[in-house]
Parts: sequence; structure tokens; C-alpha cells
Amino acid sequence: MSGETSPIVGNLDWNVTPYTDLLKHVDSSTIVGAGAASVLVLGAIAGLVLFTYMRWWGPLYRNWLTSPDAKKIGIMYIALALVMLARGIIEGFVMRAHQAMALGTLAQKESGLVAPDHFAQLFSTHGTIMIFFVAMPLLIGLINFVLPQQLGARDMAFPVLNQVSLGLTAAGAGLIMISLLVGQFGTGGWTMYPPYTGKIFSPGEGVDYWLWAILISGMGSTLTGMNFAVTIFKERAPGMHLMRMPLFCWTSLCVAIMLIYAMPALTVSSVMLALDRYADFHFFTNAAGGNMMNYANIFWMFGHPEVYILILPAFGVFSEISSTYSGKRLYGYTSLVIASMSIAVISFTVWLHHFFTMGQSAGVNIAFGIATMIIGIPTGVKIYDWMATLWRGRVRITAPIVYLTGFFLLFVIGGLSGIILANPSIDYQVHNSTFLVAHFHNVIIPGVLYGMLAGIHYWFPKAFGFRLSETWGRRTALLFVGGFIFTFMPLYVLGLMGMPRRSPTFQNPDFMPWMYIAAFGGVLMLCALASLCWTFWTSYRNRRALAVPGGDPWNGSTLEWSTPAPVPEWTFPCIPRVKAREDWGETKRRGDPWRSPETYTDIEMPANTAHGLLIAGASFTLGFAMVWHIWWLAILGVLAIPGLVVLRGMRVIEPNIIPAAQVEEEDRRFRQQVASLPPATRADEETERNRGVPDLSEFAG
Amino acid sequence: MTKPNTGELNPQESAASEIKSYATGFIVSLLLTVGAFAALLSDLPSTWKIVLICVAALLQIIVHMRNFLHLSFSGGQSREDLLLVLFSVCLLAIMAGGTWYIMSDLGGRMHQASGSDAAMPEAPTR
Repeated sequence: MSGETSPIVGNLDWNVTPYTDLLKHVDSSTIVGAGAASVLVLGAIAGLVLFTYMRWWGPLYRNWLTSPDAKKIGIMYIALALVMLARGIIEGFVMRAHQAMALGTLAQKESGLVAPDHFAQLFSTHGTIMIFFVAMPLLIGLINFVLPQQLGARDMAFPVLNQVSLGLTAAGAGLIMISLLVGQFGTGGWTMYPPYTGKIFSPGEGVDYWLWAILISGMGSTLTGMNFAVTIFKERAPGMHLMRMPLFCWTSLCVAIMLIYAMPALTVSSVMLALDRYADFHFFTNAAGGNMMNYANIFWMFGHPEVYILILPAFGVFSEISSTYSGKRLYGYTSLVIASMSIAVISFTVWLHHFFTMGQSAGVNIAFGIATMIIGIPTGVKIYDWMATLWRGRVRITAPIVYLTGFFLLFVIGGLSGIILANPSIDYQVHNSTFLVAHFHNVIIPGVLYGMLAGIHYWFPKAFGFRLSETWGRRTALLFVGGFIFTFMPLYVLGLMGMPRRSPTFQNPDFMPWMYIAAFGGVLMLCALASLCWTFWTSYRNRRALAVPGGDPWNGSTLEWSTPAPVPEWTFPCIPRVKAREDWGETKRRGDPWRSPETYTDIEMPANTAHGLLIAGASFTLGFAMVWHIWWLAILGVLAIPGLVVLRGMRVIEPNIIPAAQVEEEDRRFRQQVASLPPATRADEETERNRGVPDLSEFAG
Repeated sequence: MTKPNTGELNPQESAASEIKSYATGFIVSLLLTVGAFAALLSDLPSTWKIVLICVAALLQIIVHMRNFLHLSFSGGQSREDLLLVLFSVCLLAIMAGGTWYIMSDLGGRMHQASGSDAAMPEAPTR
């Protein structure tokens, strides 16, 4: 980077790509950097060519990018998350491979695959991507897809706002992706603590990439939280009391509340850091009365509720699948509701445990340590409830149940190591070591990742009309379980041996055996990723054999299983009148659940719009321009966003009316098809005989 | 236009009262903002400045909720509105109070209590 800022292109010049680094200096680190950029460029080119060759641009634009349908928005969120997951896992593998070669000696202190600065970028992007652009889009996508269907609603309360939220998240993800090719990412870890990330110590564009990605996508997440909350409070079908909602809806409500109250804290801390960096403020510098410790305070005020934002939807998924696949009613519904809500509120009282060692008195640490231990109680209640749900049920060992089993075994270990860390005196010993790294991966991977993948497996037929291959699903699940155990259990040992986290090199040869085991675990995780991709591909190829047009492949008991698969745009031909908790199961028990409604009416759906896409484009432009100090472009981006909102507000937008005749025709065809399909027993669930119409005599849930 | 908390449209009631409510809110919040800046630039002692700015901020919140967000404690939805406000106050009190607790403790241990930032921390006497 040259010293001068050009008025036209800001700080951009030809030296910002990893290729120029490679030309200047060839070693494994620059090769890895240029390789990653090439994967991005080649992937983008391959995508462009494929879409052009297959003539998919039109359908992509008309059916997906401009659709305000919450189900499609949910699927797009999940697709985005899976792309980012691939990058996150590969980065994790590169870090494991690096550390397996990073044993330094006194003569040569640094070794390994990548340079220390490059390693710091890797762990910073890995953390940022996995939290904000994998876990968050996965759970928001799943909630978007499932929540309206379970509530008996046709869409979210604010469909276009939903589209805007997706656009903002994608713009943030785009900024992270482009940082591979243009410039560097920050090196301050996913939390970006000042003063290191202040202008003095991190003058380049790296921290700014993080800031703008977080600010833009964080705004999207806040809006999503509001959308979820209003949907749950206002859009429930008649008769769907709060205490009749499926548990997934309850955990979605908790997530919505936490998103609304926690995300602003992140926005505030990021805006303050941005003001420090761009406008010479002194919030987090030692000069002029600033205090960098307040950054940690505000950041974790968001950060701790965030981890429960991540885990609660997974708890919701596990509640649904433990009940469905054991053919039993969910045990302890009320206790699960109370536990979820307790977690949502208590999660706001524990944030200090992320910085026990910052220097406050023992009394403060004890107060937050006790709060941290208390939050383990409702989580424990939940584990027992799920086990009691499976107890004496006829459990089918499908892929989601493999994930659930892995979750039971591993999440409890992760939770217990969390209780250990909640004790400040122990935390002083192991903080900032790989023990901590092992702990949070141990709750996030078996919790969030397994939960979300189980949920994707469970609801996939509802979205696309065919099941995923159970064989490959189970293989993927087992690989993720094995990959996790081999990668992160050694890190507990290494942490207790004194290995600091985020260290690009170390001089203790005793670490090496554990490093090799962890690197092998990294290979297994890569295999799991490949297996996940193969599951989708092979299931797509066998989609005829796996098709479940009846729409209820697992003999479920919640409302979403009453509709065809794939579910039509309007979801319900007639909004159901809910009479019981698990209403679809109740209808099955009364017999003939597929009775057609008496009358059909016109259905009003929100019309397609490019609003979200335009806002996403404007906010991406704003973020990129601010990162590179291209002020004129940033001003254009800032003006474009309110301009677009005002423009949309001034236009009269007609909704899309679906005539009653069309609804009736499609619905009658679905009901005739259900009547003609042979019912499948539980034993046939994984075979071709499962056409989505279950044997009702077996339903006991 | 819309009656608070009913969602029913009342065509009799003119849009003027709605606009009046928004305009009042806008002017009051503008005054409160200007007031906060005026307090900052004035010659008052710094404790007074902080108190004045905090009061202005709280009033600002109330104006926003009343005039812009149409929160009301009378009408069909008053119970929901009250619960919402109480829950928000509860969480914000946890956040603000917790920050106060943590940062004042840290400040005390950094010997910042006197307000002199440049003072070097002395060796602990315990």
C-alpha cells in the first residue's frame, strides 16, 4: 500500500492482491494465500460459466433473489452458510496443518506452513466466518423456513424486511470473501480487541473489513430478530396459543428476543471502534480518557447472549427430532419451555466470564462465575428431557438421531468443561490456552453444527420434495463426530500442558504427538465436508427414488408435515384452526387427517421485489468503499440506502393474488395423490416405499 | 389514522393529529439533543453535566417510545406494552448496571477514582 490516498480509488492499488505477494516472495505462506484467492476467483468464474451455460440467471433472479417468500429466503440463508462453512473448515484444516509443522527451535523460531501474520488472519477469518456467516445464517435460515410453517402462517410478518436482512448478511459475507483477493483481513482474532486493533497498531484495511462486515450483517440480524418476534406474536394460526407452539418456535422466540437485545451491543462496540479508527476518537485508547477494557465489556455483552442465540435453535431441532424419530410425545414440554426462557434471560447476566483475568476484584468475578454455573442448570434439564423422550421409544437410527447421539455424548463434555471454566480461579490457569479453544468448539460443533445439520436433514424433504440419502447422511454425521473428537480432544490436553491459543509457533516437542492427532482430526473434518457435499449430490441424483410427495416422510406431529413436499408458495391452502398442541398428530389420532378444506379463498402473497438485492448492493458498496477509503463511493452508498427505502415507500405495491381456483386444483391433486400412495411403516422409512404418506396406525406421538 | 394499540383504522380521525404527534416528538427530541450538547459545552461542573445528559437521554427514550413507537399503557394492548417495557428496562438495567459495576471496580483498581488519567498506579499496598 502506498502512503497517499487517491481521491478516485482510495487506498487501492495493484499491490493489494496475494499474487503480488507471491511474485515478491515465494514461500509456502504466499502460495497458500494465492491458492485461496485462486480458489475464490476460479470458483466465481466456474459459477458464472455454469449459470450462463445452463441459462439459470433468469430463474435465479425471478424465483429466488427477488422472492420475499420466507421459505426461499431460509434456503438461501442456508446455501450461503454452507458456502462459508466450506471456507471455514478449510481454514481450520490449514491451521491444524500449520501447527503440526510449527515446532520451532532456538535457532529458527518460526516454521510451519504459513507466516505468523498469515496465521493470525486465518484464525481471525475462521472465527468471524464460523460465528457470523455460518452459524448465524444456518439458524436464521432454518427458523425462516420452519417457523411460519409450524405456526400455521403463510409468511413472516415483514417479508420484504426479511429479504433485506438476507441481503445485508450476504453483503457482509461478500466483504469477508473479497478480503481473500483484495488486501488483508484483520489479525486481531474474531473479537478484534483494541488497542491492538486501533489505528496505531493495525493501520491497514484488515480491521476495517471486519468492522464493516460485522456492522452490515449485524444490522441484518437485528432486523431478523424483530421479524421473528413479531411473527411469533402476531402471525400464529387461530387456536395456536403460546403453550401450543412446537418447541422449535419457543426457542425461535428466545433467539428473537436475544437478537433484539444483544445485537445492538455489538453494533455499538463496532461503531465506537470504527469512530476510533476513522475519526480519531478515543473510546478505546489510553490517551484522552479512553479505556480499552470497556470494549471487552460491551463486546461480550453481545457475545454471551450470542452463544445462546447459536445453541437454542439447535435445542429446538433436537426437541423436534427426539420426539419424531422415537415416535413419542416430547417429554416435559413445559419444563423445556421454562428452561429455554431461563437460558434466554440468564444469558444476559454472565458476560464477564469471558474476561475474568482482565483485573477486576475477586468479588466481581465470583458474582459472574456463580451466574455462569447457574445457566448450566436449565441446559441440564433439557438434556434429561430429551433422553426421557427417547426412553422406551421405538428409535429409528436416522442421520439426525446419529447427530443427536453425538450431541448427547460430546455436548455434555463441552458443557462440563464450561462449568470448570466458570470457576475464576481455574480460569486463571487455563485462560488463553487451547483448553479454552477445545471448550468452545466442544459446545459449538456438537451443539450448533450437529443441530443445524440434523435440522437440514429433517426438513430437507419439505423444501425440495425428496429425502437425503440416509446412508450418506449417517456417514457424514459419523465423520463429523470422529473429526470433532480427533481434532479437539487433543486440544484439551495441549491446553493443560500450557499451549497458548492462537500461537503460530511453539518450542515444546512434547506437543507434537497431540498436534499430529489434531491434524488427523482436521483431515476427518475435510472428509466430513466432502461427504456432506456428496450427500446432497447423490440424493439429488436419486431424487426420484427418494421423492416423498405425500409430505410427511417421518410420521411427524407438527403442522408443517400436513402440506405437500415440496411445500407450495402459500404453504397452507386454508389457514388451519389449531385445537391442540402438536395439532397434526392430534388430527392423525382422530383419523383421516388429509381431509380437504370446505372452501378455498383467494390467497394474497407479497409480490416479488428487487428491494433486498439493491439494498445489499448498496451496503456492500458502502462497506468496500469505507474499507479502502474511497470516500465518493461511500457517500453514494450511504445516500443510496435511505434513497431506496424512500423510493419503495412512495410506490404503491400490489400484492400477488393467487386465485382460489388454482389453489383448489393444486390442493385437490395433492389430496388425491396422498390417497393413491401406499402408506409406509416405520420399518420402510428409509426405503423407496416411503412416499411421504405414513402408516397412521403406527402413530403414537 | 391508527388508534394506539388497536390496529383499527379510524377514518374520522384526521391525519393531522397523527402528524401533530410526530411533529411534537420530533421537536422535543431535537430540543433534548441540543440540550445535551449545550450542557456539555457549558461551564457546569462535570457531575452536573453527566446528570443532565443522562436525564436528557432518558427523556429522549420516553419521547421516542410514546410519539414514534406508539407505546401506550391504555388500550387493548396495554398489558403487552407494559410487559415489553418492563422486560426491556430489566435487561438494560442488567447491562448498564453491570457495566457500572465492572468498570468502576476496574477503575478503582487502576487508581482512576480521582479522575487524573495521567496518575501512575502505585504499588499495591496489600
